[in-house]
Amino acid sequence: MINSDIIRGHLDSIILRLIMEKDRYGYEISKEIGLRTKDQFQIKEATLYAVFQRLEKKELIKSYFGDVTYGAKRRYYCITSLGKAYYKEQLEEWRMIKEVIDIFMEE
Amino acid sequence: MKKIREYIDEMFIEIPGSEQKEVVKEEVIQNLEEKVDDLIQQGKAEEDAINKAIVDFGSIDDIKKELMGRQPIKKNTTGLHLGFSIWGSALIIALCLFANFYYTPYIIWFVYPTFGVLWWPLAMFFRWLKHK
Repeated sequence: MINSDIIRGHLDSIILRLIMEKDRYGYEISKEIGLRTKDQFQIKEATLYAVFQRLEKKELIKSYFGDVTYGAKRRYYCITSLGKAYYKEQLEEWRMIKEVIDIFMEE
Repeated sequence: MKKIREYIDEMFIEIPGSEQKEVVKEEVIQNLEEKVDDLIQQGKAEEDAINKAIVDFGSIDDIKKELMGRQPIKKNTTGLHLGFSIWGSALIIALCLFANFYYTPYIIWFVYPTFGVLWWPLAMFFRWLKHK
């Protein structure tokens, strides 16, 4: 399992992307990350909920309570239009970074 | 499942109480319980599943930082205090100067209150320096 600073620096974008695809709740997101990366990267729950707090504070995502499971209502997250714009910006930035790094790190 | 709740309760103890904290705590507990159920369904023993969920949880520091950051940060007002003290003392000194030369032009007494008043901006200056 990798645990690199580069991934950590882009966690906000990764989670934003997953929420952009459809409204999701906490465990679903951590499961999805493990699934897509074939368990090469797993997010710590503590980190995940910190990201939720941060994104919500910046009004990039909103939360609402969905269906009842496990004796309580699940808290779902959905992206705001500000979040979508932010994601687009991050995507552009990432492409540029990748290009620059590739200049040096690719043969 | 009680173990999960106990563990999270303990982790959240160091975060000062707030409505937000309780909401996040409940959310975390609920999602961890779901994870444990998931792991059990994948064939893990309950004990193992709970332990894995706890290990995977990571450090509370991230959440702590976000939740504590919600409290308003004390603004640095020392610059304002310094400015106020300079203007205030300048006005007081000017008044003394005026009174001195207008009413008693042959006795120079204004330096005494001036020295006293100067402590004010001086104190504020060092406070400002410390916070800069």
